[in-house]
Amino acid sequence: MALSIDELKAAMIEKATKAPKPQLYIKDFYECDPDAKPRNVKNVANDLVKEGKLMFWSSGSTTMYALPSRIKNEETREAAEESK
Amino acid sequence: MPKHDTPLLDELEKGPWPSFVTDIKRQAATKPECWDILGQVELSYKDRITHWKHGGIVGVFGYGGGIVGRYSDVPKQFPGVAHFHTVRIAQPSGMYYSAAKLRAICDLWQKYGSGMTNMHGSTGDMVLLGTTTPNLEPLFYELTHDLNQDLGGSGSNLRTPACCLGKSRCEWACYDSQALCHFLTNHYQDEIHRPAFPYKFKFKFSACPNDCVAAIARSDFAVIGTWRDDIRINQAEVKAYIDGKTPSNGGAHSGRDWGKFDIKKEVIDLCPTGCMWMEGDTLKIDNKECTRCMHCINVMPRALRPGAEQGATICVGAKAPILDGAQFATMTFPFVKIDAETEFEEVVEKIEKIWDWWMEVGKNRERVGETIQRVGLPTFLKVMEVEPIPQHVREPRSNPYVFWSDEEVEGGFERDIREFRKRHAQ
Repeated sequence: MALSIDELKAAMIEKATKAPKPQLYIKDFYECDPDAKPRNVKNVANDLVKEGKLMFWSSGSTTMYALPSRIKNEETREAAEESK
Repeated sequence: MPKHDTPLLDELEKGPWPSFVTDIKRQAATKPECWDILGQVELSYKDRITHWKHGGIVGVFGYGGGIVGRYSDVPKQFPGVAHFHTVRIAQPSGMYYSAAKLRAICDLWQKYGSGMTNMHGSTGDMVLLGTTTPNLEPLFYELTHDLNQDLGGSGSNLRTPACCLGKSRCEWACYDSQALCHFLTNHYQDEIHRPAFPYKFKFKFSACPNDCVAAIARSDFAVIGTWRDDIRINQAEVKAYIDGKTPSNGGAHSGRDWGKFDIKKEVIDLCPTGCMWMEGDTLKIDNKECTRCMHCINVMPRALRPGAEQGATICVGAKAPILDGAQFATMTFPFVKIDAETEFEEVVEKIEKIWDWWMEVGKNRERVGETIQRVGLPTFLKVMEVEPIPQHVREPRSNPYVFWSDEEVEGGFERDIREFRKRHAQ
């Protein structure tokens, strides 16, 4: 039985919060609801990005998802390092 | 006035060919940050290691692709390129654009970026090299609102589809590659702009087997024009080539005297399957043996033309050599009708079947060709509901074992183990 969209969103946020690494592949979210189709999981992940609850992290060749609070951009990181 | 000494790069200006070093120096006259590019590249040549870091969270709102974050790992030494992001712009189908459009894009890039471009990247995009994070949103706004151009794909997205000139200029085009490319670019906007897959996915469309966009080597889904009836022959024109009245290869080799055209030496003996011969003055072709190499048609374009029943072959799974070496795409669907009236439904259906399977089965950072290699072509063909044919086989098998699936064995593999043991010694 597939989760509702709201339940899936909550499960994905929980996954992104508790995962050891801040960046997650889209496939990592599939296990939040094994009954959901991969495309639906992708659409929900992108909805979460639009809502500002997740953000994209891209290496250029691969794109991952992350919680904004768990990841810093390069400029912020450099500023933090400089202020140390 | 150069900001850094670049003796190693300066060597690259000495050859007879155009040099990117000279170009960057020229650009540095109006964009001083370009001196820092030269400085950093010089350092990379010296250290024999790149000083670019790539990746990050830069992008424009709502898009998960099109911008690639790039940073210097020696920003204090080269502050002009501390942040030097790449912007990919979707190229028009067949790469047709007006000089005015190119000028407008260059002006926009001069305003918001370094002014340096790469025309074009491997996927086909116009690549704009070097801008900062605060400039991304205003650049994107003007690009989309004023120039009516969109960003291309990057990351785990569908990459910007690319096609050949097709029917706009080429007499060999077997389908309208530009129409298909344009349609699928619009149809899959979400997949181009937002990551959907385990890794990148590329479409390329070549309208004939000459494959001018190298789709078979460079795309996960290569649509290559073909025909399934006979090569059309104009015997009078064949004779004109033999008599030297028409220059071979459309006159492409006329800069030097290569001697009289010899149809046996230059066409018949070079046919890879040996399916051509002359009977008197008549050229004969055993069409069922033709592998669409296009050589005879390229040499004698007035005498030979692709057949009239046209469509495309779809090959799946080419990739560059990051893992396991480079591989060509595998011929999967021998003949598909490319029909704009049905909104290319036959092609769309195949694409989505591949995606649904790959999104489920593909590992992270695994191209679809690698997934096929891992699970085996027979499994992939079964998922695609394609009946295997001899052309799917690359070479005779060397494995002596034959594996049967459950449904291929009468009664299946289910058995009653007690019944079995009654009849066999313990």
